[in-house]
Amino acid sequence: MLIKKRSTGGSLCLAVIILITAAAAEAHHSFAMYDHTRTLTLKGTVTKFQWTNPHAYLELDVKDAKGAVKHYTLEGTSINMMQRIGWRSNMIKFGDSVKAVMAPATSGEPVGLLLEVTLANGETKPLGVPASDTFKRTPEQEQKP
Amino acid sequence: MMSAIRDRLITAGILALTISLSGMAQTPQATGVPDITGSWERARDASIPPAAQPSLKPQYQKEWQAKNQAAREASAKGTPLADRATMCLPEGMPAMMGATFPLEILQSKGQVTIIEEAFTQVRRILLDQPQKPIDEVEPGFYGHSVGKWEGNTLVVDTVGVRENVVFQNAPHSADMRIKERISLGANGILRDEITIEDPATLEKPWIVTFGYRRIPNYTLLEYVCEDNREFAGDNGQQKFRIDAPDKPGK
Repeated sequence: MLIKKRSTGGSLCLAVIILITAAAAEAHHSFAMYDHTRTLTLKGTVTKFQWTNPHAYLELDVKDAKGAVKHYTLEGTSINMMQRIGWRSNMIKFGDSVKAVMAPATSGEPVGLLLEVTLANGETKPLGVPASDTFKRTPEQEQKP
Repeated sequence: MMSAIRDRLITAGILALTISLSGMAQTPQATGVPDITGSWERARDASIPPAAQPSLKPQYQKEWQAKNQAAREASAKGTPLADRATMCLPEGMPAMMGATFPLEILQSKGQVTIIEEAFTQVRRILLDQPQKPIDEVEPGFYGHSVGKWEGNTLVVDTVGVRENVVFQNAPHSADMRIKERISLGANGILRDEITIEDPATLEKPWIVTFGYRRIPNYTLLEYVCEDNREFAGDNGQQKFRIDAPDKPGK
C-alpha cells in the first residue's frame, strides 16, 4: 500500500515536470522526442556543423571499437540562444574531433539532442537546452549505445 | 552671383533639414510619454500576477482540454505531436508578447513598433488613430493595432487576428479583440496587461499580464526559420529528417 502510494506520487511528480516543461517549450520546438532518462557520450569527427534556426545541427562520424563508423545527427538549440551564451558559428569546423553529450531519440534512430560539446580545443560548452536538468545524465562508463 | 545663389540654396537646405529633424526628434520625454524604446526580456517579477487560464465556453473548454491532453500524452510517450512551431510559423498575437526571445520596442512619430526576436515578428501600433471595423481588417498574425498614451500607459486595441493564430492553443473567433495596457513601473519593470475579449468562445475576458526588464546594450539578432528538420508526419506526429552524411571536403 505504501509502495503503491509512493509510486503514484512519483508519477504525479513526473507528470507535473512534463506539464511544466511542455508549457515552457510551448512557444518553440518540442524536445519531447528525446529520451529524458539517459545520455550518450560520443567521441567523433565532425562532418557538418549547421548554423541555422530554428536549431543548429552537428553531424558526427563515430568509430566503434572495431573501427566501424556510425553517423549521428545531433540537434542543438536556436543559434540565437547559443550566441547569447557565447557560441560562434566558427567554433566547430569540418574534421574537428569533438566529444558530444546527447539525449538519444526515443525512435532509436542515430539522432540525439545535443546537451554539451567538448570542442577540439578542450573547452566544454553547454547548448542552453531549456530545462536541460530534466535530461538525466548517464555516467560515461555506464552508457549503452 | 552664382556662388551667392548656391550659398542661399545650401542655407535653405540646411534650414529645411533642421526643421524636419526637429520634427522627428520629438522625443518621448519631451511629450511626457515614458521612454520604453530599447531591448527587453521577460521578467518574472512579484508585481506580475501569475498566468491565468482562459474561461472558455463549455463546448470549447472540452475541446481545448482534450487537445492539450492528447499533446501532453504524446509528449510523455516521447512521440510529440507536430504543432505550428514544427512548421516554422511565427506565434502572432498575443503569444509573441510572451517574449520567449527578447523584444525590441521602438517609439517613433505616430507609431510604436514591437519586434520579437524569434521569427523576427513585428507588430505596429498606430498612435492616435481610430480602430477599423473588424470586417475591414484582413485577418493576419498580428492584427491591426491602434494605441494612445493615457498618462504613462499605452492603451492598445488589436483586431483582425486569424482564427488559426492561437494563444496557448485556445480557440477564438474572428471577432476576438485584444486590449493592452502597457506601462513602465517605478521598479523598471515594463508590464503588458493583456485582456482578450471574445464573447463567442470566452465566458469572460481572459486577462494575462507579462512583465519585462530592460537588457542594456543588447541588439536583437536576426532569426530566419531556415531549416527545421522536424516535420509533421502523416499521423500528425513530429518526425525527424535525417540527411545523408556529407562527403569529406564538402
